[in-house]
Amino acid sequence: MIAFGRVPRPSRFPRSGRASGPLRAGVALLTAIGLVFASATPALAYPPVETVHTERVQAGPYSLTVGYSTWPLRALSSLDFTFTPDGGIDGKRGVLTLVGPDGSEERARLARHPRKREVWGLDTFAVPSEGNWVLRFTVDGPAGRGEGRTASIPTLPQPGPPLALSWAVGTVPLWALVALIVVAWRRTGPGRRDGLPAGSNARTEGVGT
Amino acid sequence: MTVAADGALPARGRAPASVRTATVSRGWIPAFLVLLGAAFSLTAASWDIQWHIDVGPDTFFTLPHLVLYAGSALSGLASLAVVLMTTAARRADREVDTTIGGRAVPVLGGTFAAPLGYLVSGAGSAGFLLYGLFDLWWHSLYGFDAVIASPPHIGLILSIALSMVGAVMVFAAAWAHRWARLGVILAFTVTLAFSLVATQGLAEIDGGVVDPVSVGVTFLTVLVVFMAVGFLRDIRLVLGFGIVFAAAQALLWWFSPWATRAYAVAVGLPMRDYVSPVPLVPAEMPMSLPAVAALTWWAVSSVGRDRPGRLVASLVGGLAGLVVTVCGLTQASLVYRSTLPTIGEMPPTVVAGVLVGALAGFLGRRFSAMLRAVVPATPREASAASQQASAPSQEGR
Repeated sequence: MIAFGRVPRPSRFPRSGRASGPLRAGVALLTAIGLVFASATPALAYPPVETVHTERVQAGPYSLTVGYSTWPLRALSSLDFTFTPDGGIDGKRGVLTLVGPDGSEERARLARHPRKREVWGLDTFAVPSEGNWVLRFTVDGPAGRGEGRTASIPTLPQPGPPLALSWAVGTVPLWALVALIVVAWRRTGPGRRDGLPAGSNARTEGVGT
Repeated sequence: MTVAADGALPARGRAPASVRTATVSRGWIPAFLVLLGAAFSLTAASWDIQWHIDVGPDTFFTLPHLVLYAGSALSGLASLAVVLMTTAARRADREVDTTIGGRAVPVLGGTFAAPLGYLVSGAGSAGFLLYGLFDLWWHSLYGFDAVIASPPHIGLILSIALSMVGAVMVFAAAWAHRWARLGVILAFTVTLAFSLVATQGLAEIDGGVVDPVSVGVTFLTVLVVFMAVGFLRDIRLVLGFGIVFAAAQALLWWFSPWATRAYAVAVGLPMRDYVSPVPLVPAEMPMSLPAVAALTWWAVSSVGRDRPGRLVASLVGGLAGLVVTVCGLTQASLVYRSTLPTIGEMPPTVVAGVLVGALAGFLGRRFSAMLRAVVPATPREASAASQQASAPSQEGR
């Protein structure tokens, strides 16, 4: 099973009361780190899970409410999904299958939402491409096994610039490294060595052993 | 400007006493600061990825993120300090020690004189800063979906990798000093371990029957092994590289899940359901590296240094690629407790591994020679090169 779109597959202490130089530096460093944390506190707050749109799914004997934190969905834009069976998740388990517009499928066990532990869910998950997606559920519980699916979930095109442009920007360091290698390659070729001629101490052949 | 020749350059001996006394107490400080920053980056990346897998909620200022920023800041500030000091020395007509970062090159029309190694490490750190802003914008537009293979994340990873390449160059330039040998081994280790993270981006490619991530891991592993063998030129150092790499893998294997759980407890967040005990980044590092490094050394040295190098490097690279790929597939099945790929599934990826291994062997052999060009010539070698330059047989080249 694959987590949708995520990373795949899966002493000595100073005896005197007077602080030593390194200790003072350490205290200063810890103070600085503490100040960074203190200033970052608002940014450390994790947002609650909100639901702005719901759908009902009947999976055999089980009824589920599928919640979305944004609606409509857009490709690459992450949101929180919640899957709440009537009567709660206790005693139940199941599998979620994400069916793409091209019919491709990815499966994952239904797991509790990290920020809303009383229901199953996907946290900050982005549908990777536009088109009509479907969520299929297989639920096992006291009433046996049941399967059900949502209606097609229309996913709009991604916001922002074209993905190719973003990838072109994102890979600039790679091209910079390639350029550096090309320049170094030319300057250290067998025929020249950065202004120095090739010679007994200027050979580039052979992995040295 | 004297720059050492590569190839058979005997630059591994002790530096002249004048050079040692002038630089041994100065050059190691910024070099190891850059390396420390690189180690921070590797550790934080492994921790951060594990955090996303095992816990989840993300902000711009999680603790792993802060360590990641600190790593690049440390490397960048150390590089900047060396560039500024080199520029000041040049303007004051003082002699510049080329064992500190390598030869100084003019930057911005000669406004700055930057030792090549520190220029590359500093550029990588500056790139990290820019891609951090790109990432902030990206998350404001798309949300905090924590995937490795997003354009800003790959830009961040590549920037750090570039900085680590600079760290390798910095220690290569200081090769005359004994501390640089440990530094080169450590720098090779963090560079390879971190670069392997970028191969996760290859998962976006539909390779059909070929696993592109495995092929990417094979390419980078064989490339760096050949660079290490070609540059270090000492079986003890090559084996040392293998041992240090394995030790780093073991350390990350313990640290990443431990730090993730400890941080989750500290901020009061629960672990996800179905958390795997296998940490991703160290699990992707090839456990076969020490053996592959020894095998490569043996294979290359058994044919002798005077044999044509390109064909040998490609053939040995193909062999190393075969070993790394097969061991990698086996490693994945063992650590993830999954079934081994069937005989029908393995050949396409293994064949691709052999081919990219051959290419990596060819390139790695050449890159090691390029890295040796960073090593400054001793006065005796520079004099010999000058005499050759003025010899009649060399004129007209």
